[in-house]
Amino acid sequence: MSKIFTPTNQIRLTNVAVVRMKKGGKRFEIACYRNKVVSWRDGVEKDIDEVLQTHTVFANVSKGQVAKKEDIVKAFGKDDQTEVCKEILSKGELQVSDKERQSHLEALYKDIATTVSDKCVNPDTKRPYPVSMIEKAMKDVHFSVKPNRNAKQQALDVIPMLKTVMPLERAQMRLRIMFSGKEARKLREKIAKLAGTVESEEWNSGELSMICLIDPGHYREVDEIVRSETKGHGHLELLNVKEVTEGEEML
Amino acid sequence: MRLFDSKKLAELQQNTSNIRNICILAHVDHGKTTLADCLVASNGIISPKMAGKLRYMDSRKDEQERGITMKSSSIALYYCLEGKEFLVNLIDSPGHVDFSSEVSTAVRLCDGAIVVVDVIEGVCPQTQVALKQAWLENIRPVLVLNKIDRLILEMKLSPLDAYVHLTQVLEQVNAVMGELFATEILGRDVVTVKTKTHEQSQMNRDLSEWSTGLEDADDSQLYFSPDHGNVVFASAVDGWAFSVADFASLFASKLGIDESTLKQHLWGDFYFHTKTKQIISGAQEKAKKPLFVQFVLENLWAVYDTIAVRKDKEKLQKILDSLHIKLTARDMRHTDGKVQLQAVLMQWLPVAKAVLSMVCEKLPSPLEISEEKVEKFMCSQTERFDALPSETQALKSSFLRCSPLNDSPVIIFISKMFPVERKCLPQNRQQPLTAEEIAQRREQARQKHAEMMMQTCSLEEKKSIQNLSEADLSMMSTKKDEEQTSPLHLSDDVFIAFARVFSGTVKKGQEVYVLGPKHDPHQALEMLKNGQDINPNLKLKDLKSGQHITKVVIEDLYVLMGRELDEIDCVPAGNVFGIGGLEEHVLKTATLSTTVACPAFTELTLMAVPIVRVAVEPCQPQDLQALIHGLRLLNQADACVQVIVQETGEHVLVTAGEVHLQRCLDDLKERYAKVDINASEPIVPFRETIVVPPSVDMVNEAILDQHNAPKKAPGHEGDAETEALITIHTSNKQSTIKIRAAPLPSDVTTLLENNTQLLKAMDRHFNSNVENTRDSEEMSSEDAHNATLLTERTLKAINNLREELKKAFANAGKEWEGALEQIWSVGPRRCGPNILLNRVPGYKRSSVWEKFNKDNFIDPRAEYDSSFIYGFQLATLAGPLCEEPLMGVCFVVEDWILTSQQDSSEPVGSQPFGPFSGQIMSSVKEGCRRAFQAQPQRLMAAMYTCSIQANAEVLGKMYAVLARRHGRVLHGDVVEGSASFCVEAALPVVESFSFAPEIRKQTSGLASPQLVFSHWEVIEIDPFWTPSTEEEYLHYGEKADSANRARKYMDAVRKRKGLAVEEKIVEFAEKQRTLHRKK
Repeated sequence: MSKIFTPTNQIRLTNVAVVRMKKGGKRFEIACYRNKVVSWRDGVEKDIDEVLQTHTVFANVSKGQVAKKEDIVKAFGKDDQTEVCKEILSKGELQVSDKERQSHLEALYKDIATTVSDKCVNPDTKRPYPVSMIEKAMKDVHFSVKPNRNAKQQALDVIPMLKTVMPLERAQMRLRIMFSGKEARKLREKIAKLAGTVESEEWNSGELSMICLIDPGHYREVDEIVRSETKGHGHLELLNVKEVTEGEEML
Repeated sequence: MRLFDSKKLAELQQNTSNIRNICILAHVDHGKTTLADCLVASNGIISPKMAGKLRYMDSRKDEQERGITMKSSSIALYYCLEGKEFLVNLIDSPGHVDFSSEVSTAVRLCDGAIVVVDVIEGVCPQTQVALKQAWLENIRPVLVLNKIDRLILEMKLSPLDAYVHLTQVLEQVNAVMGELFATEILGRDVVTVKTKTHEQSQMNRDLSEWSTGLEDADDSQLYFSPDHGNVVFASAVDGWAFSVADFASLFASKLGIDESTLKQHLWGDFYFHTKTKQIISGAQEKAKKPLFVQFVLENLWAVYDTIAVRKDKEKLQKILDSLHIKLTARDMRHTDGKVQLQAVLMQWLPVAKAVLSMVCEKLPSPLEISEEKVEKFMCSQTERFDALPSETQALKSSFLRCSPLNDSPVIIFISKMFPVERKCLPQNRQQPLTAEEIAQRREQARQKHAEMMMQTCSLEEKKSIQNLSEADLSMMSTKKDEEQTSPLHLSDDVFIAFARVFSGTVKKGQEVYVLGPKHDPHQALEMLKNGQDINPNLKLKDLKSGQHITKVVIEDLYVLMGRELDEIDCVPAGNVFGIGGLEEHVLKTATLSTTVACPAFTELTLMAVPIVRVAVEPCQPQDLQALIHGLRLLNQADACVQVIVQETGEHVLVTAGEVHLQRCLDDLKERYAKVDINASEPIVPFRETIVVPPSVDMVNEAILDQHNAPKKAPGHEGDAETEALITIHTSNKQSTIKIRAAPLPSDVTTLLENNTQLLKAMDRHFNSNVENTRDSEEMSSEDAHNATLLTERTLKAINNLREELKKAFANAGKEWEGALEQIWSVGPRRCGPNILLNRVPGYKRSSVWEKFNKDNFIDPRAEYDSSFIYGFQLATLAGPLCEEPLMGVCFVVEDWILTSQQDSSEPVGSQPFGPFSGQIMSSVKEGCRRAFQAQPQRLMAAMYTCSIQANAEVLGKMYAVLARRHGRVLHGDVVEGSASFCVEAALPVVESFSFAPEIRKQTSGLASPQLVFSHWEVIEIDPFWTPSTEEEYLHYGEKADSANRARKYMDAVRKRKGLAVEEKIVEFAEKQRTLHRKK
């Protein structure tokens, strides 16, 4: 006859977040509280008891199988359960809990909006849009945040989408380019094509000095043209990364 | 029916001595608009039955709904007193604090004011403000004690008690007047004493001289008193009002006493001796009824008692007979006593008669304008009248004459622009058609219809032409009309200027100058002498800074009739009227004149300054244009609104209060922008800085040298130094940079902060090879002036700045020696309050003060100079705390080494880490950041200076509000001659939201704050601080998150920007156990 099942001596774990790690051919798991593991990894939560449900290393949390001691020693080289738990916590793979995911996405969404508002201007006023408006517009175009790409990349993705609902433009860079030589004229054409507007240009005994506004996306190209085609005689100077109207204004 | 038409009106306008321009002022809900209703009803514009219920002057929908007036509006009334015909331009004004700007606009155009006081509530805050405003603008007030019916029916006072109550209210009002008077006299005294002391320093001034000012000044005309005839007792809601004179004439014959003596004694401590038929003083002493009680109040009480309380029909008939009043049969039958009462009293003691007689008798006509007032109009207090050009001084006499003749110059003051729906303009209003026109149109319509019928014949055969009703026809014709009248796409609102002619006669088609509020006759006259003329095609928006004059041909003139406008051809001096077609010439206020010598009228004395700030944005991003347009219109329509476009691109709307804000938002939504908008708290900027390591901790214990001690041990001498010195390499290891951060001396920071414009100009100058005109155009108005004179003025200013900086550095100590010439750059944006110092050995680069010329400068590092500077600019633009700009930080570059110069020879593709210039930029930025973080970091908050006017009794509550919002009181002083205090405090901008409503609520409106941005202030708490010492644990506990204000601000900003915040997602792991997602 099997053992009588007595629920009183059984510790039930609820709301468990499992962190697993495979080491030495064995699987180890620990039982943590939900929404706490990421905080621990970020160093925000410092109390281990707020993270671990129990200082035991399991082979399988859901079945309640505790890992064998010799396996632990073999894999980790130590038998202090808490230390092993800490190692698993920091290196193991985890399932991101709902609130963790939510707060991460929220932060990312805001970060993207802030980046967009930082990079773009309203072409009519040459002023940035407030972040809250960008956020609203992002919602309007049904932009969904991808958790695994960084904010800047996604901001660049969303800008063309936003252009459909509001007048929006990348804030332009102001560059000064100086070069001389035979191909100067040809080079000028090339750059003028990339540049949005050429603000001023001046020929001075065969040397051209021009100030132009370019889209920040073209910066590398321009830089390379100047660098390679002039063989180092050209000079590129960044005057302003963002051409926006500054200061407050009263209507 | 209206009593008079526009012809009559034009006739009345000519007679300047019989014009009265008055406004009604009072606390909110004291019955201004109801009183105005009664007066309007006397002219037959509305039915007397509706007076008090209709609130004719409240034409806006929300005014009607909320039951408060929100704007001042004018109406022209006719009144005939003893055969003389008067034209009364009555301006109703709002009583709510939020709209006190509207009161200012009204008061400016008036010569007199009716101050209404609710006898139950007595003198309220806004009553005081109203009286003060009237006083400041030199207009004469008369008093209406309103709501006397409430003393009878609600308070159920006996006539004697009511009399005592009335005298008390009157005393309160007079006390306010006395205080104003005393304040001014004392204020004047201070000025004269100051001037005197120079001349008569020898004179021994004893105490008696102190009080002379007050005693010498004549204040007999100042106070309100019924026997002077400047007080009226009223119940506007029941439609009656009387002055003492009314009853005096009534009883004079009955009592056999001379009318004028009775008038003198009816109010006051007098009683009537029935046997001797004499008036004897000392009623109170002898416990007799005063005359006023016996003859006036008791009679009134009796009427109320009979009609409204007992509803005694027989008695009513008796009263009617004795008063010679006839009631209509309908009124007689009415069961509601109140209606009967109103009908009786309205006929017995009509409001209009009492109030308008008082107005016509006691208030001055435009001719009686005082010299003092004219001078106040023409020059502000800081200037002297004598200093104005002689041509301008000559205009004073035209003001005083106020003559409508054609030879006198036209002077008009516009106090506000108000919007009117285009279709309400008299030109666009539908004219009643003549019979012929109707017939003609009917014929046209019939033909048209017939044609239509022909086309759709098969379908609608049944409908015959004859069946067409008149209504259909008229509808069709109106539709056609509309099509004709609005061929152009015009906005629905036009702006009408609310104005008054002070001299001359303004006619349609006349050409006048529009002088902006900043217009200066000196300059304008000089300009004219130089032969410059004003381009008639200029509009307000074309004006450059320094220009304030445009020319305009007056197109439309209107008489303001409350909700309506009447067209008129000319307006002679002394009248209040409206001008159309000026939207493009006038922003909020202006002066119109035929001569440029006319000075701009002094600014309105605003009692409330805009203080409640919100950020507005459209719900749909594409509506932004409409919103901006709407904001522009709103700005024009409301004197008390400011719209600011912030650096972040937010549009911030600043209004006087919550109610005002609500109205502005409604207006924007429904009238001006016609789009959905959101209002939210605006973003508050912060600054990041570093400080000298503090010597005491949070509980004021000296920080022990525990962690400093080992460093000071021998052999570790330079440890602290090296720890702060950050060494950083570029990604390709070709360059090494060593940077250290240090807090700038505060003098230097302020100097840089105050001279941003100058630094910017300097930078532009040095950076652009060609000094072109584009720059000067782009620069702000102030700068445009500078840029053109860059050679002289700016250079001088720059030299000044250099000198001052040199001094500041010299004062700061020896580590700043020579710093001035080492300044590599300032940032952010090349003009901010942070400095990059060049202490690189062997890199002799010219400082920021001179043009950097790299052509004649041979150093491999020179090529990357701009990248280096740019890295610094980036670092200062966004600090590590919460990506806000830095302030007052100095980055000292101790070393910069370039190891090899191979990149130029290499092909382009082989740069694994991108262009080298970019690498330098990013490593400089990173280096600066780390150097910054190595120092004790602090957050800086923007601060407002907040000046608060408050009464002594609410002072405590006001301090509590300030303390709750981390405000700091700078100083508080009692205002001489009055009981109010003037307190100055510094308040962080972050804490200022809903500060104004809170302080008003807490002090019941007796304290009114004003906020002006003043400076940046370091918040003394380390945002990363947690308790570490024993004492700190004791004081703050282990978590201490409640106390760290800097941390709170920093986290809020980080959260808003989507940066990582050190915050646990869930505070207590155990507590979420039973949380289900779907719950």
